[in-house]
Amino acid sequence: MGIAVLLKQVPDTTAKISVSGGRVDESAVNKWSMSPYDEYALESALQLKESGGGDLVAITCGPSRAAKMLTDAAAVGADSLLHILVEDISGLDSTQVQSILAAAVAHSGSDIVFCGKQAADTNAGSTGPGVAHLMDASCVTMVSEVVSDGSSLTAMRASSDGNERVAVSAPCVFAFDKGIIELRRPNVRGIMMAKKKVAETLSPADLGVDISVSSVSIIGHNPPPQKPPGQKFEGADSVAAVVGKLRDEANVI
Amino acid sequence: MAYEALDFYDIDSLLTDEERMVRDMVRDWVDEKVIPNIEKACRDGVFPDEWRVDLGEMGILGAPLDGYGCPGLSYIAYGLICQELERGDSGVRSFASVQGSLAMYPIWDFGSEEQKNYYLPKMTTGEWIGCFGLTEPDYGSNPGDMITRAEDKGDHYLLNGAKMWITNGTTADLAVVWAKLDGVIRGFIVEKGDPGFTAPEMTGKHSLKASVTSELVFQDCIIPKDRMLPHVKGLKGPFSCLNNARYGISWGAVGAAQSCFSSAREYALSRIQFDHPIASFQLVQNKLAWMLREITKAQLLAYHLGKKKDDGTWIAEQISLAKMNNVDIALEIARMARDIHGANGILDEYPVMRHMANLESVKTYEGTHDIHNLILGRHITGIQAFTREP
Repeated sequence: MGIAVLLKQVPDTTAKISVSGGRVDESAVNKWSMSPYDEYALESALQLKESGGGDLVAITCGPSRAAKMLTDAAAVGADSLLHILVEDISGLDSTQVQSILAAAVAHSGSDIVFCGKQAADTNAGSTGPGVAHLMDASCVTMVSEVVSDGSSLTAMRASSDGNERVAVSAPCVFAFDKGIIELRRPNVRGIMMAKKKVAETLSPADLGVDISVSSVSIIGHNPPPQKPPGQKFEGADSVAAVVGKLRDEANVI
Repeated sequence: MAYEALDFYDIDSLLTDEERMVRDMVRDWVDEKVIPNIEKACRDGVFPDEWRVDLGEMGILGAPLDGYGCPGLSYIAYGLICQELERGDSGVRSFASVQGSLAMYPIWDFGSEEQKNYYLPKMTTGEWIGCFGLTEPDYGSNPGDMITRAEDKGDHYLLNGAKMWITNGTTADLAVVWAKLDGVIRGFIVEKGDPGFTAPEMTGKHSLKASVTSELVFQDCIIPKDRMLPHVKGLKGPFSCLNNARYGISWGAVGAAQSCFSSAREYALSRIQFDHPIASFQLVQNKLAWMLREITKAQLLAYHLGKKKDDGTWIAEQISLAKMNNVDIALEIARMARDIHGANGILDEYPVMRHMANLESVKTYEGTHDIHNLILGRHITGIQAFTREP
């Protein structure tokens, strides 16, 4: 059983994001972290590996700085690391990233794929289903937990009427939402082991993926528009005005 | 708001990936486990057992020692661990210092092969807790005149005397105790439950409240012959341990100072007086600038000393300087931070008063501030000024 976990390094959720020249200014980001949804995927994959055995490969498509994140994955228990080196990751469109990751999964020989439901920076949410499509694999999204019963894998996922259990067999892709699991803390032993694990570094061309043509062009990045300030009313005298606004402007009563 | 450590001269860029990963692991643990629970631990006067388990699981106890299941990290990594633990609380760093530098280290350096194989694997995982018995009620800065005696009774040693101010004493599974055998200081491993050994807890502390402090009492305490550390005699034994612990303290003090600085900066930016944040007033900025200046110097001192520890070119006087200076400035920064917080500074909503009270102990233990000055004075002049004897 080969398990692949797809990881993306994103600006830490506490990092300040600034836009310059129509693009997010990456040089101004002071801290990069593993995307939180990917952390849940990694933890669940580690638990699956521990319960059922198998080899766990951590895969990322990203610039050189993302190597640190792969080492972090090794420190908590990833067996091998695969880095598809693309320095200008924001120059790739979602379908190109999917092609690269699907080819990387095939290269690793894995047939079970764990990933986050979306990356915490772009929030596109297309990697899981896109990779599954290219692999011709089953895809379960919004997953909180995966358990193995030997022959098939059962994923717990949130649905509109509560939780669903979905059983699938390999090849399959699980896209993780925030659930009950948190990524484990590493320990010194893991950190020492991680030092010895060297990532296999490939280019998209090494995997036979052509990234010269994109079907998507990014016009620009902008901070979200400022919301108009809220209105504040004080005292009993304002009741009539508030009721009027709720009825005529907000249309809620 | 995530904690952002003051690192004005980018010490971070000097660290190896491994050192950074260890630092981040401990930093995350302190954020998650220590800071939300420290005030309760202080009020209850306990060191939560869960912390012992976590420290063992992270694998950081006895950090710079190698072999026998020990981590084998660099002294820089050990320093960073101390820094992060003490950013949480000096009591947590004290626990790790005593376990690693004062209890594990003497067994690792001076113990027999059997002693190392038996004790160290259990101690690095935190399964067994150690303590260190040197100071006595009447012999603190002057341990050479200790009263505690060991007698060779043929098939066992008989220990008599009392030790005081022993961190981890009551909860410890073993104590490394320094006692005179035929007038010569030797190290003995005393286990919990050895006949004639008790370790009552000392209460009423206004400092290091989340750390256990005890007396060790030996009344005709019988210990087997194989429990003496064979490879050291005299004060060199305990002083070697103290050198390592003092080195860790020089980093730990930086952590406590960073915590106080971070709290003071945040408070000064949000506290409005006379229609402006107090951070906009020159007297407050002067204080913050002084803190930044002293923390930066302390960091560079600790880092360079760590490099010297790692390549083996250090001398004990350099450790004295770093311990003395870094604790001194950390205490002054804690007092200044309390001042910036105004009345709020005395509340347990902020970490500053707790750090301040802790650092009063840290200034005194592991060689008082004044004793370190005398160590430096002897180094400079060649004349010892500890005693009036020639």
